[in-house]
Amino acid sequence: MLMCKDLAEIASDYIDGELATSQNLAIRMHLMMCRHCRSFIGNLRVSTDLMQAHSSVAPDEALMRRIDQRIAEALAARKKD
Amino acid sequence: MNTALQKDAEHTLIVALQQGDAAAYEKAVREYSSGMLAVARFYMDAASAEDIVQDCWVTVIDAIEKFESRSGLKTWLHRIVANRCKNKLRSNKREVNTDFSETLDPELANRFNASRRWQQPPRLRFDESADVLLENGALSDCLDKHLSALPENQRSALMLYEAHQHKSEDVCNILDVSASNLRVLLHRARQRIFLMVETFQESGEC
Ligand SMILES: [Zn+2]
Repeated sequence: MLMCKDLAEIASDYIDGELATSQNLAIRMHLMMCRHCRSFIGNLRVSTDLMQAHSSVAPDEALMRRIDQRIAEALAARKKD
Repeated sequence: MNTALQKDAEHTLIVALQQGDAAAYEKAVREYSSGMLAVARFYMDAASAEDIVQDCWVTVIDAIEKFESRSGLKTWLHRIVANRCKNKLRSNKREVNTDFSETLDPELANRFNASRRWQQPPRLRFDESADVLLENGALSDCLDKHLSALPENQRSALMLYEAHQHKSEDVCNILDVSASNLRVLLHRARQRIFLMVETFQESGEC
């Protein structure tokens, strides 16, 4: 039988729809009976959405300008050829 | 979804890059560098990763002429970064440290009893959506802090898969991990975020 810890181990695969039908079914049965796991799956889903909504840390503008500079130099060198 | 529109915009940008348009490069650098940096950080420290990203942009100037749009510009750029990192590591003989043996975060694993039931169940239910939660600036800062504390491999997997919305097979390609190892990385990272949000929601502390 699928226990809470087993469910926790494959929770992301469940959320992403990566499980086989039989495993999906076992999880749904468990969720009907277990409110703790319902909370866990719900919370993990929100955590996943958080990552999608939270844009990644942007590199600082100083780095961008260094890159601009190097590209400008490389483009100029190429035009000379 | 306006994917057709995005494809058009991407095509226009690629043509401009191929023509050596400086303004197009500035635009592309700002749009794609954060993702490229995330990929590089999978392999090396922050300073080396920044160097790699700079070097890659210079190689893009020549490489873009032969660009084939099968995979999309973002995936193509990320692959260039990954390959350059791998070559550099090979010459430095440095190994990337990864542990794929545990599916559960140790902190979460400890919350189950011997019969595999919850001993310390989730303490509350997050009843707001991610967008509403993120309106809280303190939580957003806390998320940043915890993201930077994640092991590099988990963070890159999370960034590429969730924040940069790559397909699994692209992420596997870029990071050179198997599909099953990618699943472990994603799951471990999400558990850390879950634990962080739980603490934050309960105590207001990061
Ligand atoms: Zn349960």
